[in-house]
Amino acid sequence: MAAFTIIVNGTTHRVDADPAMPLLWVLRDRLNLTGTKYGCGAGACGACTVLHGDRAIRSCTMTLAAAAGQSFTTIEGLSPRGTDPCQRAWIDEDVAQCGYCQPGMIMTAAALLRANASPTAADIDTAFAGHICRCGTYTRLRAAVHRAAEYSK
Amino acid sequence: MSTRRQFLRDSAGALIVAWRWSSVPLSAFAPATDTALEPNAYLRVDGSGEVTLWVTRLEMGQGVRTLLPTILAEELGADWSKVRIEQASPGGRFKGIELHTSGSGSSSGAYRRLRTSAAAARDMLIAAAAKAWSVETASCRAERGWIVHEPSGRRRSFGSLAASASKQPVPEQPRLKDPASFTLLGKPMKRVDGPAIVTGRAIYGIDVRVPGMLFASIERAPTLGGALVRFDADAALRVPGVRHVVPVTRGILPGVAVVADDNWSALRGRAALTIEWASRPGPPFESEQYLAALPSACDRATFKVRHEGDAIAAKEAAASHYDASYLFPFQAHAPMEPMNCTADVRADRAEIWAPTQTDVRTIAQIVKVTGLPESAVTLHCVMMGGGFGRRLFADYAAEAVEISKAIVRPVQVTWTREDDMRCGYFQPATAERFTAGFDAAGALTALIHKTTASDLTIYDIHDGRNIWTAPPKPARGADDYEKDQSPWGAYDTPYEFPALRVDCADVTSAVPVGPWRAVEYPSTVFARESFLDEIAHRTGRDPIAFRLDLLPRDSRKVGPYTIDRARLARVLEQARERTGWSTPASARPGRRSGRGVAANVYHAGSYLAMVAEVSVADDLSDLRVHRLTTVVDCGIALNPLGVIGQTESGITWGLTAALLGKIDFKADAPVQKNFSDYHVMRIGQMPELDTVLLDSGASPGGFGEHPVPLVAPAIANALFAATGIRVRQLPLRLNQRPA
Repeated sequence: MAAFTIIVNGTTHRVDADPAMPLLWVLRDRLNLTGTKYGCGAGACGACTVLHGDRAIRSCTMTLAAAAGQSFTTIEGLSPRGTDPCQRAWIDEDVAQCGYCQPGMIMTAAALLRANASPTAADIDTAFAGHICRCGTYTRLRAAVHRAAEYSK
Repeated sequence: MSTRRQFLRDSAGALIVAWRWSSVPLSAFAPATDTALEPNAYLRVDGSGEVTLWVTRLEMGQGVRTLLPTILAEELGADWSKVRIEQASPGGRFKGIELHTSGSGSSSGAYRRLRTSAAAARDMLIAAAAKAWSVETASCRAERGWIVHEPSGRRRSFGSLAASASKQPVPEQPRLKDPASFTLLGKPMKRVDGPAIVTGRAIYGIDVRVPGMLFASIERAPTLGGALVRFDADAALRVPGVRHVVPVTRGILPGVAVVADDNWSALRGRAALTIEWASRPGPPFESEQYLAALPSACDRATFKVRHEGDAIAAKEAAASHYDASYLFPFQAHAPMEPMNCTADVRADRAEIWAPTQTDVRTIAQIVKVTGLPESAVTLHCVMMGGGFGRRLFADYAAEAVEISKAIVRPVQVTWTREDDMRCGYFQPATAERFTAGFDAAGALTALIHKTTASDLTIYDIHDGRNIWTAPPKPARGADDYEKDQSPWGAYDTPYEFPALRVDCADVTSAVPVGPWRAVEYPSTVFARESFLDEIAHRTGRDPIAFRLDLLPRDSRKVGPYTIDRARLARVLEQARERTGWSTPASARPGRRSGRGVAANVYHAGSYLAMVAEVSVADDLSDLRVHRLTTVVDCGIALNPLGVIGQTESGITWGLTAALLGKIDFKADAPVQKNFSDYHVMRIGQMPELDTVLLDSGASPGGFGEHPVPLVAPAIANALFAATGIRVRQLPLRLNQRPA
C-alpha cells in the first residue's frame, strides 16, 4: 500500500492502495465512479476508456503508480449536464442498446474530435478499432461521431 | 425435474409468453390507495396527474424499457413527455407476473396484454369524466393526459379524474384503439435510458453499491467437471484488503472465493491461492475430435421432428439424389458486462441485485441456497450489459448468495472476462445433414433433414445435480421433439417440399450448453439455406426463384404455427429488387465478387430475406462482406427505430458467428480466453447494412433474434457465387483451391 494523488474530473483525490492497482478499479471501487466499465481487463475491448489529458486510454491497463499526479476525465466528468456534443449526438442517433460499452465509446469519440475536428469514416474505424460492442451498434456509432463533429463546429 | 419441453419453453420459448402475459386476470389487482387509479399492476395515474408505467420485462439492450411503456402510454392516451417509467421487480405488486425475458417474446407477448391493461384504465377515466359531465362515454376520448368531450370541447386532466375513476368498475375486455389512430406506436421512439447511459449514470449489475459491501473473485475448477480437492488460503489472506476465503459449491464449477475490500485486492488474493483440483474421470474433451465425429451422429437421427409425405420412399424412387453435411461450432455469449451479482444474505432475509433475464430461476436459486422462504427474498432485477441467453442461468447469483450467507455481509461477485468466457453455457456444436431426391427431369421430389440437438437442460444447476456425474436423464419419447416444435428452424421450415422428413439425434458432450441468441435457428438455418442454394445451383436454378417456387402464397399450418408464406415470398422479392439481384455483383479489380441469399421465418411471426455481397482476393485470401441487405416483415413495427437497431444488432451477432467466433476445447478446457483470442465483430469489419422494414400490418413478431440465422448462409452462398467453393462449416474459412 502506498499513497498516491490523482486528479479525476478536476478533483484531486488521495488514494492509498497497491501501486499496481489498475486505474479502472481505483475509479470504480475507490472513487465510486462506476460509469467507467470493466470489460476484459486486458485492453482488448475499450469499455474502460477514459481521457488522460486529451488522449483516450484504457484504464484497465494503467496502474495507479503510473497514473499518479496526472489528470483524467471519466464519462461522469465529460460535461456537467450531459451536453457534450458526443453525448448529444449519441442520444440523437439513438446509438446505445444495452449501453454498457457506450461510456468507453463516447470517451474515444471525445478524444478523436479533440484531435481531428472532421474525422472520415476511416478515421473513425481506426479510432474505434480497439472497442467492442456485442449489441452491434457500430453503424449508428459512426453516424453519431459525424454528428458530434457537426455539433462541435 | 425439468423436462426439455419445459425448459425450452421456460428459457427461450416465445410460445409460453402469451400464456404468461395473460395469467393474471385484469381485475385481480388490489390497489394501495383510492386517490390513484391503478386498475392493474402495470400502471398508475395519481391525483397529481403523474402517470407511472411499469416495465414488466428485463432490459438487456433490446429496448423493452422503451417499448413496453410506449404501448401502455399509447392505449392510455398519456402524455409521453411526462410519464414516469419504473422497473418492475418480482413479487409484491407484480406477484404472479413473471419478468423472465427470452425468445424475442416481449413485444409480441406484450402487445395485446399491455394494451388491454391500459385501455381498462383509460375507459375508467372516460367513465368518470362522462359521469361528471352527464354525457355519453362514446363522446369522450383520451388525449395526452386529458379526457376530452368532443362535442363541447370540455377537458379534464387525468389527475383530476384519478380518484373518481378508481371507483369505476374495471372493464375486463375494454375496446382497443384502432392502430390507424396511434400517435406513439409505429413512430421512432428513442431509448428512454439514453441520457443515463451517455452520462455513465445507468446502473448495471456491476455498478450496484450497497453500504458495507465487499468484493469477491472466484477461482473455479480449471477443467470441465473438475473438483476441488483442497486449498491453502494463507497467502491469499495475507494480501492487504483480503477479508475472507471461502469455498463455493453452488456455481457451474466448484471454486474458492476471495472476498476483499475492492476488486483488485480480491484478484490479487485469488492469484495467491494454492488449490489442488481433480479432473473428472474419463478422457478429456477435445472439440476437434468431437466435431469430426459429429456428422456421423446424423445417422442416429431417429426422433421425429416433422414428417410430411413419404420422403424415404420418394428418395428411394428418385432418379438421383444429393446430400451434404454442415457443422456449427461451440459459441460463447460473451456479453460486454461479465457475469456478476450482489447479495446481502442475513439470518432471516436475503436481498439480491442481479443482472438477470430470469427472475423465476434466480429466485428459485436464492431460496435453495439460503433455505429462506420466498417471502423473505427480495430480488432487484437490474440492467444487463447484454444477455443473449447466458443470463437465463442463475449460477452466478447462486454463488454470490452462497458467499454472502457464509460471511454474513453484502458481497458483489464479479467474474473476470476469462471467467466469463471459460465458465459458460455454450451454444452447442451441431451437425446437420440434408439429402435431396430428384426425378429424371431434375425436379426436387424429397427432402430429408437429419439434425442434431443438445439437451439444454442437462447441464443446468437449477435442479441441483452435479452436472458432470449425474445419471443420464430418462430416454425421451420418439415424438418429443415434434411436441416441442423443436429444433427451431428444422421443425418450422417454411418451404413446401413434395415430401419432407426431419429427424433429430440427441448429442451430448462434457460441455455445458444453453440457449444462445436465436437458439437452434443459427445452425439449422445455416444448413438449410446453404443446402437450398446448393441444389438450386445443381439444378441450374436462380436461388431466389428456386425458393419462391417452394413458397405457395398461402398460410401453412405447422403444429401451433401458421406460417404466412406470401409474406416470406414478399420479402424475398423485395430483396431481389433492392439489390439488383439479376445484375452481376460489383466488379473489383483483383477480386472475385458474388451475391448470396438466405430467408427464414422466426416463430411464424417475423419474415426475413437477406442478400450478402462479398468478395475475396483472386488468391482466395481476404474474404470481405461489403453489404448486407435485409428485408424484414415483423408485422407492425411498434418502434421502427428499435426494430432497425435490433436488426442491425442481430446481423452483427450473426457476422461474428459467420466469420470469426468459435470456442474450441482442448484437454477439457476452452482454448479461447478473452477478446484477444475470441474474435468478435469490430467496427472496421462491418459491412454496409441496408435494412428495410416491410410493414405488413400483421401482429408484431419478435425482433431480438430474427436476423441472426440468415447472415452465415447468405455469406456462404455469396462466397460460392464468387468462387465456386462451398464452405459448410462455421466460421467460414476458405482453405481450398477453387474447383
